[in-house]
Amino acid sequence: MMNHKSTFGSMFTVIIGIAALGFGILEFVGGEWGPLTVDAGMFTAWRAVILICAGLIYLSSVTNFLDVRQLGKTVVASIMIWIVAAMDIWAMIAASIPSGAEEAGEPWFASGTEFLAAYGPPYMPAMYLLLPSLVILYFVGRRRLAR
Amino acid sequence: MEQALTVDQRWDLVDKITKETVEVGAYEPTLRDAIAGVTVRPLTGIPFAIAVLYGFWTFFGEFAGLFTDGFFVRIFGTHWIPWLAERLAGLPDWAFVILVGDRAVFAEEFLGDSCFAAGGVLTTGLFMPFGIVLWAVLALFLVLAILEDTGYLPRLAVLLDTVMHKIGLHGFAIVPTLISLGCNVPGVTACRPLETRKQRFMMIALLGVFVPCGAQIGMMEELVPGLIGWVFLTLAVGYLGFGWVLNKILPGESPEILMDVPPYQAPQWSNILRKTWMRTQHFLLVAVPFVLLGCAIVMALYTTGAMDAIAGGLEGFLATVFGVPASATPSLVVGFLRKDLAIGLLPIETMTNYQVFKSVILLTIYFPCLATFAMLLRELNWKEILGTLGFLVAMIFVFGGILNLIGMAGGW
Repeated sequence: MMNHKSTFGSMFTVIIGIAALGFGILEFVGGEWGPLTVDAGMFTAWRAVILICAGLIYLSSVTNFLDVRQLGKTVVASIMIWIVAAMDIWAMIAASIPSGAEEAGEPWFASGTEFLAAYGPPYMPAMYLLLPSLVILYFVGRRRLAR
Repeated sequence: MEQALTVDQRWDLVDKITKETVEVGAYEPTLRDAIAGVTVRPLTGIPFAIAVLYGFWTFFGEFAGLFTDGFFVRIFGTHWIPWLAERLAGLPDWAFVILVGDRAVFAEEFLGDSCFAAGGVLTTGLFMPFGIVLWAVLALFLVLAILEDTGYLPRLAVLLDTVMHKIGLHGFAIVPTLISLGCNVPGVTACRPLETRKQRFMMIALLGVFVPCGAQIGMMEELVPGLIGWVFLTLAVGYLGFGWVLNKILPGESPEILMDVPPYQAPQWSNILRKTWMRTQHFLLVAVPFVLLGCAIVMALYTTGAMDAIAGGLEGFLATVFGVPASATPSLVVGFLRKDLAIGLLPIETMTNYQVFKSVILLTIYFPCLATFAMLLRELNWKEILGTLGFLVAMIFVFGGILNLIGMAGGW
């Protein structure tokens, strides 16, 4: 049973590690590919570095995955992805609230349609890593139960 | 006179106390211990610190942008300022200029941003602290409180210890530095745990010169967002470079600090909100009166023609030494009171990008705001205050001059 979990965990870190590494490189390149976009901005290079490092940290914890030190590294890499994704979501929320109008008499808040449109694709790379990275919570929960 | 213990003596003492008081048994590290270890090891800790700082700045930028650009530019620009100008139109010219601002700003042909251009006490004087700076410092204080209460800040200190040792300080220096990014006043107070006068003097001097406060950063974010990265990089180079120089030339010791690194924990939101509110309240009490006073002084100098005389007198000096136009003089005048107001008054549209960059750096390094200066008077003796002022003057000429030379060499 432990072996199963360890193999599953190692596979998980390999896949998400390579994905984070790839998305990090895409952040450096910039552009738009269907539902995936990379906005060139002040923090593009930061995001790229964070995703690449998260990918490398994931990959460094592939072997002996259930060891607490390795699991600690995977959790830290996941938190790095959550920070970037949370900031992408926060940027969407901040953009979805005001109407952007400047003249008197115009609405202050975005309409329902504008509000929803702000949450539609394309999304930044970290958003695609957010859900898979949450899998780490399963391993953390299992470990807690086992203790 | 009692002598401070050396590093080795302290560790020996720690060992002795530990041997007598701690019973060591089998211990299996928890996941929390493992995460704590990963975040202080340089190979994994530095990328994590980059992610945390990225979150810090992005949250700050988006939060401030949501309130300032989303609502307050419109509240002031479209409603409050035009309404006030109409209501107070009958005031004598001098009173209108001081309270509301330059009448030319309210002419139909004026296309600029009245929030900044008006300059009056009740217009720009209220817009800057309540429309821009309040949201910036609120976001900074909120994130800072979260970092403190989760236990990450001491780990950042451990992580940066090696770098800080190169300039005679300790990783702990990051605590007052980060606090100063919110406000320099509590930042200066946070230097108290530093043991020797040399360390305290160095830290306070570096904070006063090279660390911009949240209010200033908020103004930069609003007015020159594209330059912030360069400004911070330049200030960081100055902080580390001149820290190294001070460490070499100042007499005295820099003994080790033994810091308590608490375990990671989930923050209590009631504590976070209380801390954020207390710090924001303090900011409002300290900053707003100075911003209003600054606006009144600038507009009074304008209306009496004194500002033109000062600008004329300083024109040659500013252009030769720093390569900054005379139109930046009002900013330099109010910079003694509030640096955020000073940045808000920079005539950006008439300056080149490089001149704006140099001016922002100069305004950051040239004098601590009045509230911070009052704090220096409390924390340092008169010799150290003179030393700090000497350091400030030297920095203005050395740093400003170097930036000007780089600009001349680059043709900017």
